[in-house]
Amino acid sequence: MYSCAGLIVYQKNQDVEPFQMTARRIHAASSHSTVSSSRAASKHWMGMAPDAYLYPGPLVEYSIAAALTLHGHWGIGQVLTDYVYGDVKVKLAKAGVLLLSTATFFGLCYFNYHDVGLCKAVAMPWQI
Amino acid sequence: MLLMTVARQGLCLSRSQFGVLYRHAVPMGTTAKEEMNKFWAKNTQLNRPVSPHVSIYKWSIPMMMSISHRGTGVALSSGISAFALAALVLPESYPYYLDLIHSMTFGPQFLAFSKFALAFPVAYHTFNGIRHLAWDLGKGFKIPEVYRSGYIVIALTVLTSIGLAAM
Repeated sequence: MYSCAGLIVYQKNQDVEPFQMTARRIHAASSHSTVSSSRAASKHWMGMAPDAYLYPGPLVEYSIAAALTLHGHWGIGQVLTDYVYGDVKVKLAKAGVLLLSTATFFGLCYFNYHDVGLCKAVAMPWQI
Repeated sequence: MLLMTVARQGLCLSRSQFGVLYRHAVPMGTTAKEEMNKFWAKNTQLNRPVSPHVSIYKWSIPMMMSISHRGTGVALSSGISAFALAALVLPESYPYYLDLIHSMTFGPQFLAFSKFALAFPVAYHTFNGIRHLAWDLGKGFKIPEVYRSGYIVIALTVLTSIGLAAM
């Protein structure tokens, strides 16, 4: 398992009870942003789904645009960290992803403002 | 948290066989990232072949689910980006394009299938994501638990996707 390999290795090597501390430090050193913030973004994004269904509207739609883009940005960042090596290549790739994420967020906000909005965008195909 | 760190140091000092793991606790001149980059730079420059790894190791359910989590994540992210960029570039509005698709004579099976195809990666990535969050809390690492939670994720994914496609 990609991001969890470090955690499992440490669990096997040490019978010492609080292995989570070491494991989390190792994990934090290797991930793009801190572990806790990417986890918070995942949970925040999950909380949005029922909101989108129950309270569709501009507030939820813009929050979804933000949470979705951020979660995706950090996710792709982790994929890059795993497969791209070398200072120059990493910097270029990270810059490219930042550009893409910014454009994505901008595009989603534009869609929310000028078009039907994300909640309706999901609801409408299901009403065909 | 301080107590756990102190306790761990106390416990580990009394275990001499774990001393080798803490050799790296001595501050070094380079960071882990620098060491990793040096490794890759040196070995690619020497044109060393990479040993077979993914191609020879026996695939397991956890392995397949892990790469599927990454695959669905990248696919969904690309889809969202494509949607956002299309919204910026395409001249007409979303309902127009939706009507365009609706006017094409696709059978109801095709529409149900495409709803399933859209719902499946979302459902899988969501349920497996919850599984990942449980792991982040330190829960469910025993091998039988890993397999059990994996099967539950697969079952939930299939059921949810069918349910959403039927709506």
